[in-house]
Amino acid sequence: MKEVIAVVRMNMMNRTKQALTDAGIDGFFAHEAQGRGVGLVNPHVLQGAASGYEEAVALLGEKGKLYPKRVVSVVVPDKAVGAVVKTLIEVNQTGKPGDGKIFVLPVSDAVRVRTAESGEKSII
Amino acid sequence: MIMVRAIVRPEKADDVLAALMDAGFPAVTKFSVAGRGKQRGIKIGEVTCDEIPKTMLMSVVKNADRDFVVETIMNAARSGKKGAFGDGKIFICPVDEVYTVSSGVCETATPEEA
Repeated sequence: MKEVIAVVRMNMMNRTKQALTDAGIDGFFAHEAQGRGVGLVNPHVLQGAASGYEEAVALLGEKGKLYPKRVVSVVVPDKAVGAVVKTLIEVNQTGKPGDGKIFVLPVSDAVRVRTAESGEKSII
Repeated sequence: MIMVRAIVRPEKADDVLAALMDAGFPAVTKFSVAGRGKQRGIKIGEVTCDEIPKTMLMSVVKNADRDFVVETIMNAARSGKKGAFGDGKIFICPVDEVYTVSSGVCETATPEEA
């Protein structure tokens, strides 16, 4: 089993939920987060500064600002990982910096609390 | 690659973020969480608070940077010189694959990157 953790844009959540449902992933876990990536320059600020807005010029020096994000976490069987990652990339891709990251982590076991089933049976 | 998850005091989170930025690790995700530790929460008289607000910082780094990142977070998150109860914990777990959504590139595809 693998855990797929995706950090995505806030406004993509509804589409991501729908796409995961369509792909046959019914259960997942999501929470709010703030984050920053490796891109140190905000393209909007740069564009504003190039157009000559004083507010944007004043913001040019700042780094390390955190942007609101959503985190989606799904635990899936090994063979479904590729499909889930593909779905998440297809839905969330705009091609601009800030689309997010997807991490795939190994999970040693999962247990369904209601029936105490463990292993892959508990997540299907 | 490895995922470093650090649970720190909320008031120290900004220090840790600044330290990571200076150390060359800008990419971090921050969560607000609540929890308790080995000391079973904070006891004041008869009242126990066992949902202490904390901040969780999540970052995925290369295996080779592991000790440096842990040391950076530790130094920034420790209160005083000796530290105190409630300064937090750092957890590390392996990450198999990392994808960048905007380009769709798998960053762990080349073995020397891991």
